[in-house]
Amino acid sequence: MNDKLVVGIADMKMARETGMLVTYALGSCIGIGLYDPLIRLAALVHIMLPLNMETGRKTPLKYADTGICETIRRMEARGANRSRIVAKIAGGARMFDTPGGGSLGNIGQRNIESTHLILRREGIRLKAEDVGGTVARTMLMDVISGQVCVRSYGKPEVIF
Amino acid sequence: MKNYEELNGMELDTIREIGSIGTGNAATALSSMLDCPVRIDIPEVRIMGYNEAIDWIGGPEVITAGVLVHMSGELNGIMLSVQQIEFVNLVLERMVGRTVNNYEELTDLDRSALVEVGNIMICTFINALSNLADITTSLTVPAFAVDMQGAILTVPMAAFGGQSDYIMTIGSNFICNGVEVPCRLLLSPDIRSLNFLLKKLGVLDE
Repeated sequence: MNDKLVVGIADMKMARETGMLVTYALGSCIGIGLYDPLIRLAALVHIMLPLNMETGRKTPLKYADTGICETIRRMEARGANRSRIVAKIAGGARMFDTPGGGSLGNIGQRNIESTHLILRREGIRLKAEDVGGTVARTMLMDVISGQVCVRSYGKPEVIF
Repeated sequence: MKNYEELNGMELDTIREIGSIGTGNAATALSSMLDCPVRIDIPEVRIMGYNEAIDWIGGPEVITAGVLVHMSGELNGIMLSVQQIEFVNLVLERMVGRTVNNYEELTDLDRSALVEVGNIMICTFINALSNLADITTSLTVPAFAVDMQGAILTVPMAAFGGQSDYIMTIGSNFICNGVEVPCRLLLSPDIRSLNFLLKKLGVLDE
């Protein structure tokens, strides 16, 4: 339980059997925890934007679409099976309520929609989520059980 | 079009000078609002990777208050005033006549005082910049949030994340009444506006 792997922004970490995956301060970003219960392989990816429209595609993990696909690919390379993988997601908040801020204020919502869409397209079951709202979240994922704990400021912890 | 990490020394110096003029004006405004002497640190221009930026501001989970304004027009970007508790108390003591132990104790009046101070500093900064470069920029109404600073800082990152893997911040700390209070004023321009600005000031080396 002590070996905590920290997932940065536009980053992904994977662990098997033991340990904890954590990503801090998800605002409009989304933390996507993918878990194969049979082989106890867990991966946590921290994405920032809904769709990859970059030409060079140097940082696939920054975007929901390429981030999820890349994570699944790496999980499958380590023996995971797509049909067993379940997803738990957290984040997608709207940190500042800016009138006239245009689409910028809605990145969180767009991230949620894109994540849902990609998971469905890839045939991954979304088991639980804690998304939207206006608060930042820190997401912890227990590798043994795939259980996720979400911590936010001024609110009780959510475990799912 | 030059990306943040491609800027040369001359261009960075110009941006630092902009930061200096902007924060200098903001400090004057703050000084008259709080009725105390305010000095500023040497302004910094930083171009950082996302995770580096979070470390630089002092860790992702620290709770802080942020006032955010969107700029649009000839200059697009986001400006943030990140107010840590020492700064919050300084403002509240001077303007409302009380202090708080933590952010949960903030009343509506306190919040509105903080938004106002943040907004005036931001507007003063942008005004100075607009006059200098002879550009017009419109600003949105300020938005206020108290939350993990990592999440507050990802707002400008996400806004320009499609253009760059880096975030550029221009800003400085304020020293009020001889005490250094961490209050960062951070300007994050988008890449196009930054290029436009440098061109307008005659330093863009294309």
